[in-house]
Amino acid sequence: MSSLIILIGAGLLVPLFFKGNMVIAKYIAAAAFAFAAFNVYLGNGIDMQYFTLTPDIKLLEIVVLVVLAATMMTFSGFERPLVSQTLFLAAASMALLETNNFLMYIVLFEVIAIISYVLGANIRSKLNAEGAIKMFIAGATASGFILLGFAMFAMVSPSFNYAELSVNGNFTLVAVGIMLAGIFYKLTVVPMHGWAGDAYAQVNHSAAAILSGVVKTVVVIATFKAFALFLQAYLDTSVMLFSFFAIVTMTVGNFMALFQKKIAKILSFSSITHAGYMLIPFAAVASGYSYTSLVYLAIAYIFMQTSVFLILADLRREAKIKTLDDIKGLYQRSPLHALFFTIQLLSLAGVPIMAGFISKAIAFWAGVDAGLWPLVLVAALNSALSVGYYAWIIKHIYFDETDGYNNSKISMTPGSLAGQLILLAGTIYFGIFAAPVFTAMGF
Amino acid sequence: MMSIELIFGPMLLAPFVYFISRGAEWVAKWAALALFVALLIISVDMYQALPADGKFLILGDFLRVPGFDYALTLQVDALSVAMLILTAALLILVVFTSWEEKMQGAYFSLLILFAGPIFGVFMTTNLLWFFIFWEMTLVPMLFLVGVWGGERKVYAAIKFFLYTHFASMLMLVGFFLVYKQTGQMDFSMIKEAMIATPALVWWLMFIGFAAKLPLFPFHTWLPDAHVEAPSSISVLLAGVLLKMGAYGLIRFVVEMMPETTQHFAIYMVILGLTTTLFAGMLAIYERHIKKMVAYSSISHMGLVVVAIATVSYDGLSAALYEMIGHALVISPMFLIAGWVHHKTHTWYMDEMGGIMQKAPYVSAIFVLAGMAALGLPGTMGFVGELTIIISAIKAYGWWIAVAAFASLISAGYVIWAVRRAFHAEISPIVAKSKFDMSAPEFIALVVYAVLIVYFGVHPQPIFDIANNAFAMFGGM
Repeated sequence: MSSLIILIGAGLLVPLFFKGNMVIAKYIAAAAFAFAAFNVYLGNGIDMQYFTLTPDIKLLEIVVLVVLAATMMTFSGFERPLVSQTLFLAAASMALLETNNFLMYIVLFEVIAIISYVLGANIRSKLNAEGAIKMFIAGATASGFILLGFAMFAMVSPSFNYAELSVNGNFTLVAVGIMLAGIFYKLTVVPMHGWAGDAYAQVNHSAAAILSGVVKTVVVIATFKAFALFLQAYLDTSVMLFSFFAIVTMTVGNFMALFQKKIAKILSFSSITHAGYMLIPFAAVASGYSYTSLVYLAIAYIFMQTSVFLILADLRREAKIKTLDDIKGLYQRSPLHALFFTIQLLSLAGVPIMAGFISKAIAFWAGVDAGLWPLVLVAALNSALSVGYYAWIIKHIYFDETDGYNNSKISMTPGSLAGQLILLAGTIYFGIFAAPVFTAMGF
Repeated sequence: MMSIELIFGPMLLAPFVYFISRGAEWVAKWAALALFVALLIISVDMYQALPADGKFLILGDFLRVPGFDYALTLQVDALSVAMLILTAALLILVVFTSWEEKMQGAYFSLLILFAGPIFGVFMTTNLLWFFIFWEMTLVPMLFLVGVWGGERKVYAAIKFFLYTHFASMLMLVGFFLVYKQTGQMDFSMIKEAMIATPALVWWLMFIGFAAKLPLFPFHTWLPDAHVEAPSSISVLLAGVLLKMGAYGLIRFVVEMMPETTQHFAIYMVILGLTTTLFAGMLAIYERHIKKMVAYSSISHMGLVVVAIATVSYDGLSAALYEMIGHALVISPMFLIAGWVHHKTHTWYMDEMGGIMQKAPYVSAIFVLAGMAALGLPGTMGFVGELTIIISAIKAYGWWIAVAAFASLISAGYVIWAVRRAFHAEISPIVAKSKFDMSAPEFIALVVYAVLIVYFGVHPQPIFDIANNAFAMFGGM
């Protein structure tokens, strides 16, 4: 509980320093993140009814706190308000990950949704506003579905504890289906993805890093925990439903990404594609590796996705880089940005030895283990296809020359460098060392 | 004995060398040379330490993961050590042939970076780690081709990357299906546990390796990549990367799934023969000297597959010999083709002519390598092709002697190429070109020439390795 108090307290305190001294605000936030992470490391969770800190959640919380701290370090200028929002998000994420009660899951889900709207509302242009409104409208619609489904479910379930949920009858199935329709909006599952392709690209890129990286990851893990009993009870339906949505989501996301010119759009659709990969463990729930693979996917994704959007935020802020043409010859203008970007893109593409590869590999293994090799085959080919647009960005960075007009050097702030180094360390560490994740999962 | 250091050492060393060589680029060149010489010495040392009974020399088990067979198991046998020695030797020669390369810090750092995963490919017997190292080799190659290549370097680099990555993903699914069937990820354990493999697994893995070799119809990436890559990198592509495909085919298809391979061997033979004859015909048709060499390379790899498809000691020994022979024969041809283009600024053989008169020694080495490619006795090409044809006839009967047409076709494109580019009247382009070569480059070419003849007249050292490598197929 002390972690929550510290994080929320720090979130309320830092706005006092935004205008006067941003450095102090960042130090306060960093101290709060460090305290919370250390506290979780010691095994101190929220420690209240409906909340349990298990080893897998402990690992995830530490990762989320480290990533949010790294993200916070990179903020500058008009991104100042995001510092306190990252602290609130950290607290809400911890609660959502630890809860073992369906009602709390719904409530905290909405809390995170509200924080997301605020994050998106860091508006500096019409485009930012458009993105924020799209996100809000889609989110509100999704919330409507989720609440309707939950209300129906509440009629038939005697308890909201995850272990005691009602999993009988077609009425429950319909209720769960309606809730999933809403949740699929948030997870950017095709065909409920339309808003995300625009919103992630239009809102401030630092906010997009948090929304597409941290928020999506936390929500997907909490959703798996909340729905695990349903997935197993309605196994045939789950396999069919999630296999279908996984294939459609990753394929549509990939093809849409292939045709984009704006880098933020490519990254947005890449995020949608990854939502498709994250549905594989849902379909493969019959395998003993399904949850492990989802946790691994989540850990890898949070480091990679956050990093690439933050790099783009840096490039946009420092050099107004938006499109593939703008990024030509980046290695000459900023070797550090180019290097970080390239490694994380290769990781997103699933190239070893980064976390992106092994996390996908374990998800594929879970699929094969559950007997879903055709799904895995499609996913593997999609993964190969995605190299097309990631390699295309790398091609512009390294193999093309600048156009001569935009060839000024781009500097990297110390905060940005520190943040990117942390995210890179995570991507490489979890690419080589899988044992901590499997140990946390009880293997 | 050193083990994991040989893989991760170069990977950690590469960025370090890049940064320290920013002020003094020569450092990178010498660091690469020192590393590759050390790798060669260690590889030879490994060969001497191999058990005499054909079993693996166990080097260690690292990064174990509870509940998932993802341990980095390192062990080598004669086949893998042969590949390690070949790789280290070619890397040394590549340093010499790249002595004057531009942007040396980045170039040699990438070569060092490449050395780590390529050693991993041949040292690990864990399927997942094999795949990891297999894929990691693509990244330095992408940059080496994409930055230092020719006019269409970007297209070639990305095509190479995408093509082989696509095929690899099929292989990965195949690996997981094997894991599902056996509960093991380690090659040596799977070999013991496996009884019969489903056809799907076999085909997924076969296609993964076939694309790397490359076999028809998965070969289209190779001419682009080899032509656009700088010549030294073409040497690595032909000498090492294609061998990864052949090595994978022997280790993870033939040795791991012998029964299923027997069942599908006829398809391998047909694809191998088609590749050999088809690529040979394309080589005859080519005016572009480097593309001609690239098709010749594909044609020879087709023969390697025919030999592997015999699933016999004789065939596999012949395949190993041809793999090494192909690396040593094709490399000087690529290097000289690239050098001729560098001097004349043309790729087309009918615009050359008379090079022999202006650069007799280098031309002689090209002719020697060409004669080896067409299978002239006294060179590695003869022993390789002869042993392949004999082993194939033993396994499939006389009809397989059609493979001998490959030699005939080779004679066609090699002799015609030599006549057009080297022997004809001096063309105006050649007349005004200056054919000088740096000493390290020339030394490397001489070493290739000596090895082609040495192992051509004295092939026993390679067959000794094969004897140890294929004990399970009746060697020893």
